[in-house]
Amino acid sequence: MAQHDIVIIGAGLAGLRAAFEGVTAGLNTAVVSKIHPLRSHSCAAQGGVNAAINPADDWHHHAYDTVKGADFVGDQDSIDMMCAEAPQAVLDLDKMGCPFSREDDGTIAQRAFGGQNFPRTAYAADRTGHAMLHTLWEQAIKYGVHVYDEYFLMELTSENQRATGAVVMDIRTGKLQHLQAKAVCVATGGYGRMFAANTNAMTNTGDGIAHAMRAGAPAADLEFVQFHPTGLLRSGILISEGVRGEGAYLIGADGQRFMQKYAPNKLELASRDVVSRSMVTEINQGNGKNGGVFLDVRHLGKHLILERLPQIRQLAMDFEGVDPIDEPIPVRPTCHYTMGGIRTDKLGQSIALKGLFAAGEAACVSVHGANRLGANSLLETIVFGKITGKDMVDFVKNREGRDGVATDSTHAVAKVSARIAALKARPREGGVRQSSIREALVNEMQENCSVFRDEARLNSAWSAIKAAKDGLSKMYIDDKSEAFNTDLITALEMENLVLMAEGTVATAMERKESRGAHSRTDFPTRDDEHWMTHITAGYDPATREVVLGRDAVRITGNPQYAPAERKY
Amino acid sequence: MQTAHPQTTTLRILRGTVTNGKLVQQNQDFTIPYDATTTVLGALEYVKGEIDGSLTFRRSCRASICGSCAMVVNGRSRLACKTKVIDILGGNEAKNIAAASVAVGEANVIEVGPQRNQPVLKDLVVDIEPFYKKVKEILPYVQEGPEKEENVTKDSFSQVNMVSNCIMCGACYSDCTAMVENPSFIGPAALAKAYRFVSDPREGNKTERLKELSEKNGIWDCTRCGMCIDACPKGVAPMEAIVKLRSLAMEAGITHTEGAKHAMAFKDDIATWGVLNEPFMLLKTKGVMGAIAQIPNALNLAKVGKIPHPFPFDHKVEGLDEVKAIYAELKKNPLDVKTKAADSGPGAG
Ligand SMILES: Cc1cc2nc3c(=O)[nH]c(=O)nc-3n(C[C@H](O)[C@H](O)[C@H](O)COP(=O)(O)OP(=O)(O)OC[C@H]3O[C@@H](n4cnc5c(N)ncnc54)[C@H](O)[C@@H]3O)c2cc1C
Ligand code: SF4
Ligand code: SF4
Ligand code: FES
Repeated sequence: MAQHDIVIIGAGLAGLRAAFEGVTAGLNTAVVSKIHPLRSHSCAAQGGVNAAINPADDWHHHAYDTVKGADFVGDQDSIDMMCAEAPQAVLDLDKMGCPFSREDDGTIAQRAFGGQNFPRTAYAADRTGHAMLHTLWEQAIKYGVHVYDEYFLMELTSENQRATGAVVMDIRTGKLQHLQAKAVCVATGGYGRMFAANTNAMTNTGDGIAHAMRAGAPAADLEFVQFHPTGLLRSGILISEGVRGEGAYLIGADGQRFMQKYAPNKLELASRDVVSRSMVTEINQGNGKNGGVFLDVRHLGKHLILERLPQIRQLAMDFEGVDPIDEPIPVRPTCHYTMGGIRTDKLGQSIALKGLFAAGEAACVSVHGANRLGANSLLETIVFGKITGKDMVDFVKNREGRDGVATDSTHAVAKVSARIAALKARPREGGVRQSSIREALVNEMQENCSVFRDEARLNSAWSAIKAAKDGLSKMYIDDKSEAFNTDLITALEMENLVLMAEGTVATAMERKESRGAHSRTDFPTRDDEHWMTHITAGYDPATREVVLGRDAVRITGNPQYAPAERKY
Repeated sequence: MQTAHPQTTTLRILRGTVTNGKLVQQNQDFTIPYDATTTVLGALEYVKGEIDGSLTFRRSCRASICGSCAMVVNGRSRLACKTKVIDILGGNEAKNIAAASVAVGEANVIEVGPQRNQPVLKDLVVDIEPFYKKVKEILPYVQEGPEKEENVTKDSFSQVNMVSNCIMCGACYSDCTAMVENPSFIGPAALAKAYRFVSDPREGNKTERLKELSEKNGIWDCTRCGMCIDACPKGVAPMEAIVKLRSLAMEAGITHTEGAKHAMAFKDDIATWGVLNEPFMLLKTKGVMGAIAQIPNALNLAKVGKIPHPFPFDHKVEGLDEVKAIYAELKKNPLDVKTKAADSGPGAG
């Protein structure tokens, strides 16, 4: 057992930013991460982070773009707060030493990004997330945050609707430990791995959200999943929007462009959800090949390709086996970002479980609503890492957190230990390999719960969830040892991913309209009268099933934020 | 290029377990299917998923950005997710990869093992503690202090950018030759990280840092073998950063250390030796990893099998005239410590 004031699960941008607040406020702050903090998925973000820093810009415009981008189910108070705090949050990082790219006069450089009216995306070359993550890690070292490096979250503990800590496993030794805390924060990132085609790291399995649901803190917005139009067909590796910016075409198996049918003005440069839907329509109509279409740059000419798109050419050659100079690149819409997360109030505390907080992609504050704007999620991590961190400090110093509530550690550890023993004891004979559960699940989710959904498809996905849950009860592992048992870890991740998939399918069935990234062909229009609401997803331990609920969208009364048709 | 009947090859993995503090290692062969796009990581995932779930390795991003998956593949430290099976089997000159040379029957095999210079915990997983401990020792954060410059310009971070590409994968550390002789050497990644701060205008204690770095196990312990430049998957070129730190230290008058004295002597000797191994040359002459002053040392290491093959240290400058010409050039144009690293284009979002 160990005792901390604040325990944060997750050492990506959101977790480390929250830890900075805890430790600089003088609290005993610990961070738990299943991979070394610098390996966190935040390092993969390239594009940048939005903030109305430029005096000619106005955070109100940023907020409006975000409300609209969210298709009007984002929480307006959180959005206002995020956009107003954005410039300071970026300047904080700059002060800590983050090498943001500069303009000639030394001010932070900003570029234009989709769905916004002003070039307000700050960046550090083409590795913004990486630069920010390294900077926050440096601060964690500087201030002495206690890092449980390569520790895996096994369970969130609670007592009478109050979070009390977490049971974690030291991956290196396999030993279990209960970390007691006055405030617990989940910052474990997203769950994009449930789709066969995704741009996510293999660690993005929604662990923290799944455990929060089990502990009594419901999630929300799970039905909203963002698909990026151009992931490589086989690996899902991202081909940047910049390629279409350079003039690339999308073509079908017939060799013809098709975007003029769907977005006559913006063509290939229409918004992400529109392009993704157009591509899938073509594929469904038989104009695809192996489940994808093609991104064609041949007409740009060898010279331009070599000069402007060398990285893209290398990716296509390495991971798809085609040279874009001679052949079009096979691509398909690819899961990129998961909008759902632990449902919180505007400062990041769970709406149901006191003392449990959430930040970053694992949270649903909800600033992205039905559709996230590019470069708003890095922003979410640093703004809400900070705000939630401060609120935890206040909770611990001045509110309920002052009187710690304890959970019996021995009992908590014993429970988890028994679970692991049972998993290890499962026989191979008559059992199911985790790779077969995963394969069936991710293919079904891709096929029937991705860009287009309808009742029949969702019913099929629901059967697949049932099958996966059934598979979990027979899942066996090969590795029975204690030390560095990654076989065990991936099996536990699988359990979490299946729960997240169950929540995603259940909420997608429930929302009978089309909004943002959620597109139902049987309910093709947005229905503000019935569905201007969040759908929550909790977990009932008795039935072992997801239970749905509602939580109102937080409205500020700003007349500008009244729902309007979303046109670009 | 989808093949109907996938080819197969042998993946030979150096597996290891620690029992009662003792590491026992043994090769195990697996047959894996592959095509033009299969990576070594993909092959390992195949083995773990379909054959033996107890195979242990680290991975996360599968896009060469998180730094999890560095391991030794056919003799050199590489990222498994960035290394393609066909490039290892057949070689790829453009990527500076030599073809596999160990065969089972007719076909070459892919040999995979854990990183070097670090204790093995299990199979392909090494203990990264010591590596990170050294990174922490250089105090890896911008410090307040008297040398802080308030004004930042567009070009201020050109040096910072080059080294901050580092993903802390440890490949350089694993292939570092100085580390073999002196395990306390702070290592290429930590020194590149140190240069990231020394070259940041906002850093307040540049000279203090240079002093620290000039002490034992620091910048002067590098043998300039160039292995780290070759190993690095992100183009960080740690040795270049180390040489820049050396130049800056000498410029700052920190010349009392053994290494610095040696360097000054080297400068005078060079014309008579007729051999040259300045990074100046190295960077311009592709594939050269010679360490002239260290040849005897390197030979010793090679003899005990500690240096990964191939280790060409045969770059000899032909005539003394050439040496003198190069040296005159170096004098006119001292080591370019202010080189710019180009910002790459917009990313993905
Ligand atoms: C390819 C790509 C490019 C992107 N580009 C951009 C961009 O340009 N701009 C932008 O705004 N957004 C971008 N995004 C989105 C953005 O990167 C993420 O939303 C954001 O980084 C998430 O940060 P986080 O701190 O919430 O979580 P993460 O960075 O994912 O960190 C999660 C942490 O939780 C830990 N963890 C998870 N499970 C457990 C467990 N069971 N036990 C212990 N620890 C655990 C992990 O170890 C990790 O430390 C991109 C995403 C992708 C995939
Ligand atoms: S050049 Fe120096 S730091 Fe780099 S590998 Fe050789 S000895 Fe190590
Ligand atoms: S310098 Fe290169 S090889 Fe060394 S740790 Fe950094 S990225 Fe890896
Ligand atoms: S898996 Fe991230 S670098 Fe290879």
